[in-house]
Amino acid sequence: MSRRLPLALAALTFAALFATQSGVGFVRDEGYYFEAAKSYEQWVVLLLRAPAAAVRDTGRYWSVNFEHPGLAKLLFAVSHLVFTTWLGWLPDALAWRLPAFAFGALLTYWLAVLGTQRSRAAAVLAPALFWCAERTFFHGHLACFDVPICALTAGVGVAWARAIGLLQTSTPTPTPTRHGVFLGFLFGCALGVKHNAWLLPPVLLVHALLLPAAFRGRAWRMLPWLLLGPVVLFAGWPLLWHEPVRHLSDWVSFHTQHVHYAWYYLGRELRGPPFPILYPLVLLALVLPLTQVALFAAAGAKLLWDFAHRALSPLRLLELGLAGAAIAPFLLRTTPIFGGIKHWLAFLALLAPEASHLLERSAGLAQRAGVPRSRGLLVAAAAALLPGLWQIAHVHPYGTSAYGELTLGIPGAASLGMQRQYWSNNVTAVLPWLNAHAPAGARVFFHEVNLESYRAYQQAGLLRADIQYASGPWDAQYAALQWHREFRDREPETWNAFGTRTPATGLYLDETPQIVVYARPGLPGAP
Amino acid sequence: MEGPAAKARRRGDWVWCVPLLAIAAVGASALLFDLTLSLRLPGNRDWAEAAAALRVRGGPADAVQLWPPWAERARLFVRPLPVRTEEDLRAADYPGVERLWLLALPRAPLAHLGRARAALRERGATAGDEIRFGALSLQPWELHGPRVLSLLTSPLEEHEVDYVPRQCTLLRIGRPGNPGRLQARGEGGLLHVRAGIVGERAYQRFRDPVRVDVEVDGAALATLIVPPTAPAEPGWRRLDGAAPAGEHAFTFLVSARDVDRTFCLSAWTTAR
Repeated sequence: MSRRLPLALAALTFAALFATQSGVGFVRDEGYYFEAAKSYEQWVVLLLRAPAAAVRDTGRYWSVNFEHPGLAKLLFAVSHLVFTTWLGWLPDALAWRLPAFAFGALLTYWLAVLGTQRSRAAAVLAPALFWCAERTFFHGHLACFDVPICALTAGVGVAWARAIGLLQTSTPTPTPTRHGVFLGFLFGCALGVKHNAWLLPPVLLVHALLLPAAFRGRAWRMLPWLLLGPVVLFAGWPLLWHEPVRHLSDWVSFHTQHVHYAWYYLGRELRGPPFPILYPLVLLALVLPLTQVALFAAAGAKLLWDFAHRALSPLRLLELGLAGAAIAPFLLRTTPIFGGIKHWLAFLALLAPEASHLLERSAGLAQRAGVPRSRGLLVAAAAALLPGLWQIAHVHPYGTSAYGELTLGIPGAASLGMQRQYWSNNVTAVLPWLNAHAPAGARVFFHEVNLESYRAYQQAGLLRADIQYASGPWDAQYAALQWHREFRDREPETWNAFGTRTPATGLYLDETPQIVVYARPGLPGAP
Repeated sequence: MEGPAAKARRRGDWVWCVPLLAIAAVGASALLFDLTLSLRLPGNRDWAEAAAALRVRGGPADAVQLWPPWAERARLFVRPLPVRTEEDLRAADYPGVERLWLLALPRAPLAHLGRARAALRERGATAGDEIRFGALSLQPWELHGPRVLSLLTSPLEEHEVDYVPRQCTLLRIGRPGNPGRLQARGEGGLLHVRAGIVGERAYQRFRDPVRVDVEVDGAALATLIVPPTAPAEPGWRRLDGAAPAGEHAFTFLVSARDVDRTFCLSAWTTAR
């Protein structure tokens, strides 16, 4: 099938993410990645001026945020170097985020490619089902690794499927070597983005074992190309150029010994293992729009059913394997579960082609009863996508606060005892108020907003440059508190320090407090 | 003319529409919920009217309890009455509060206002007339609680214990030989002590319990042990016991082997 449709959809995704990014706050992790990108940008500049010195001094520039491989952050840095430092076209944060939009577009492209294997409608619906939910849409905007690794998981899947002849294509088939090099390159990129990629070789190995004989030989011949992956990882992460064993060890041990953050779930704070076994699936069901929940559940069930009955095509088997591998670590009860659904986005993405097929099939079946196919498809697509589009329109850019209809929305989630938000990005809602009211040089306690994100807000012009960062309410004139169950002590602490229990303003989504701003009595804006 | 077999076949054909109809029904119901949610929630005007009613009707021994407890947008509007966000209305202490105004969002999803009212009834409270302000409900409840003789800790200071803001006073935790100390004078009667560890350190199970020794005029009266919180056990621990009548000096001695925690204590006496 032609690549035009996937490319058009990818361009549309990029444009949609670009057009809706301005209100998306800088999440805590982005603060660290922005700092890393600044450091890596200096290294790139040094590389262009004095390559030998750059190669010698990798540790100085690349030790920042050593716990994640460098590729995504290198792309953030290069984007900033080109579009901000050199050309001056984009503000800092937008330039750092631009590669993330590109990864979002790539994800759309690869989902559409998988969709085209079913039908043209499925090619459109697969990425649409993934993106038409505020949680996924929100993550598409961030200069983080979650959507990039999700995209590359799909990309490796597509490259593997193409390399072993599972995809029907209209373009001339390249040589196996080119397929292998591309597969290895994409796997290397995935390794260079996030450690979720460690799971890809086992999935492809098992897939090769389960393939029909006609494909198995080609699959075995492709597997060795995955060895290119570590080479790409090494090339794209200059930190490894000196003392690679030590840095690899630091990287691995950081994630195998990752801390557990408190996480509010169905009325209790989860602080450490063992976590509820169904946690990731329940969370998906609670945060996504209801129709997506139903369709993704049906897609997963259909794939498992067909697998059990040996009726799964090799491509669907691959999708099932990649989706399963994306979520399986979080069913172990010991893997850290913080961060909403971001760690297993690839689970959703790889189910999306099957879900889109089921959606289209419902229209196809209705055709037998005399319902025109186009009308049936329109009804199905509207039913599947409109609740998600409403969720985006209603909640964006406060993506970490979004909940679906199964919880009865954000208020229902609050009553159920679900994590209200995370990552502090919702603070963007009150920055205009602070800019308008805080006197010159005012000290503001930003609570969960880290120093890096605070600086980024000032750099982006979202926060006045004279506003100072206070370390606690006792030290502040204003406080912008993020409502978290585990940080509940901060609000009474602010009352005691400020001598008032009346907020000055806040962000309340469907009545639920998200950001609450207090001002010391007598200051501008104080009630 | 169409025969019965053809009719049955046509009816049978509609079975093929079931998946599409199911998807359409799910989508339509989801969208219907989304689009009507705001109708079930109060607007600024509702809050302002409820707050005005509270300003007019509220008395010095009144407090406002929000329901659901997360409905804290009320704080923007409701003043000067104290606002409480207790989660267990049956067990919650409201020392000094004679009338509790239950300010609720009855139509909010999963609000379960009936459960809140039942909890208040179970503790012996009696309801007054409910007033509606749009999507808000305001109802006074006479608590019929015992008369407070003395507040031994300040009701003006609040700290979080068990994720609920509590009216309590911070106390240094000292080592067993050198305990933290709070002294207050007050009327004897039934002594109520509540205490807990503030913040997430309350849940660090490897830590030692905190011991609160209560003395009256220098003589030991009672001891309260506050262990690390292990949900569903409460972190806000209670001690209720008789203290000799008349005015006395009450001393609260707080000690533990590990002292790097924030500890909060509330104490008052009542007539019964």
